[in-house]
Amino acid sequence: MLEHIEAALLRPNYIAFVVLFLWGFFIMVTHPNMVKKLIGMYLVQTSILLLLVTIGVKQDATVPILQGSDAVLSTADQMTPADYTNPLPHVLTLTAIVVQVATLGVSLALITAIYRKYGSLDEDEILQRIE
Amino acid sequence: MSYHLPVILFLLPFATAICMPMVGSRRRGWCRPMALTAVFAMCVAAVINLWIVVEHGETRYAFGGWPISTSLPDHPLGIEWVNDGLASVMLVALSFLACLCLFYGGAVTPRSLGARVVLYYTLILLLISGLTGIVLAGDIFNVFVFLEVAALSAYALVGIPGGRALIVAFQYLILGTLGASFYLLGVVFLYATTGTLNMADLVQQIADKPELMTSKAVIGGTTFMFIGFGIKMALFPLHGWLPGAYTRAPDAISPLLAALMTKVALYGWVRIMFWVLGAGAEIGQVHVLTLLGGLGALAAVVGALLALSQENVKRMFAYGGISHVGLILIGVSQGNSTGFAGSMFYLINDAVMQAGLFFIAGAAIHQHGARTVEDLSRLRQSPWLIGALIVLALSMIGIPPTGGFFGKWHIILGAIEAGNYLAVAAVVVATLLTMAYFQRLFVRIFGDSQESPSAAGAEMHPSLRLSVGLTAAAVIVLGLCSDPMIKFFRGVAASAGL
Repeated sequence: MLEHIEAALLRPNYIAFVVLFLWGFFIMVTHPNMVKKLIGMYLVQTSILLLLVTIGVKQDATVPILQGSDAVLSTADQMTPADYTNPLPHVLTLTAIVVQVATLGVSLALITAIYRKYGSLDEDEILQRIE
Repeated sequence: MSYHLPVILFLLPFATAICMPMVGSRRRGWCRPMALTAVFAMCVAAVINLWIVVEHGETRYAFGGWPISTSLPDHPLGIEWVNDGLASVMLVALSFLACLCLFYGGAVTPRSLGARVVLYYTLILLLISGLTGIVLAGDIFNVFVFLEVAALSAYALVGIPGGRALIVAFQYLILGTLGASFYLLGVVFLYATTGTLNMADLVQQIADKPELMTSKAVIGGTTFMFIGFGIKMALFPLHGWLPGAYTRAPDAISPLLAALMTKVALYGWVRIMFWVLGAGAEIGQVHVLTLLGGLGALAAVVGALLALSQENVKRMFAYGGISHVGLILIGVSQGNSTGFAGSMFYLINDAVMQAGLFFIAGAAIHQHGARTVEDLSRLRQSPWLIGALIVLALSMIGIPPTGGFFGKWHIILGAIEAGNYLAVAAVVVATLLTMAYFQRLFVRIFGDSQESPSAAGAEMHPSLRLSVGLTAAAVIVLGLCSDPMIKFFRGVAASAGL
């Protein structure tokens, strides 16, 4: 048990991911205010990006552009892969951010239209008004 | 040329969607013909593609020529699209249904759209291209992106009528995004453990290191992916967004969503389940397929029960769709080729049936203002609608000449073959409940009613008549050619290792 806690404490990013994800999830599901729901949604998505960036970290490594003596080598198997980070997690993060922005745009447009129509952002209040 | 066909299939609706605002802002009348032409061209391309795949076997498309081979020393660096038997059949079904929905939509498009009709057609085309992408993608992250492209267009389309529809669209957005986030989380977990996103390479990694399948990260990742797809395919406990969204969406849009959105999500899960994890995958000590079968049986019965208790016709059909997603899952989870082939056949049938039912519901609202079961007696003046409804109801219940029967028959045969009598019972109960809710409709339509027939409504628009008639004809044609199709899907099942 103790070593589990110790292992977790050594990886604060993962703790941050879990806390942000669950926090966002909770807000998203329980809060009646639509903008706050969106904030929860944003937290959930961002926490996943944090996880994605975290797993892409590599110590003492640099950007994946051939550097120094590697640049003059002719074949790929002569270079040292340990010196370079994997660019893929970052690319995935960028793509996921784009998706996130698009989602946020659509949802804000919907909320604006709802507010214009009902004059409120509280889901419970609007549903009550419709009844 | 034939090598590039999958990409052309995707680009046809996508490029048209991008050109639409440019052309449409000058000439609004051109939007619908343009969209129809693009989707019709897509139908033709999909049929050619199916023919090529049947003749010459599957093709794998490598974007930009980056290597996708999974055999050493190469690594799959590029993004891959898989164009195999299952995908090509799905593409034909998808493009034909999309074409039909667009054709139908012309008569019931909301008048209030005005200049926004340009954006309306843009969104429809984006939705279609997103779904095409999900079907073809051979890369789990690519599936996520296309899932979001399709879903974002769907959220906006659901909200078009304004008022209540906006609130439903927002609820759909919140749940849909949650589903996509869960899926992305699953992708991150799988990527962190295997270091690859390519489906074929994932299979290779899992085959090389069998201990991966029991690692917590892979189990967790798979579970999150399933929850994500479960929300997208409206599997029973996660179906909350569907009835409201389909009921409130414009009449021209709900057939498109009902026929394609949940079915393509289900297809996506089948891809990951059988082509990545393999049919023998286990979570902890439990067989994944057993779990799926249980969830499917629950969804099939509860969905049909909920459908029985609905007053609104569109809502009733929406719950019918939830029940059918359960039925398809039951067949898929039997772990033999009979059940799998039956399910895939049923999936295509169900897409046609859902489209047809929502065509009828939309036409009933448009022609007779009939929204609830009570109002349905007015349908008596439209023989076309009633005739199509009878054929589709036969197929939904599963009576021989229609496609629904053969799908259900093979699902039951598969369940018997697997010795899973609980699943058989669930299918039978769901069938009886389906019969019960259609009985309610027909009692209302043909029974005695006090309501004096109002002056006959306007003549039915020919495009409504044609699309309703075509879906009804399609379920019968599907039924008649069920034998070769089931054989084809058995071949697909064999390639998935069943």
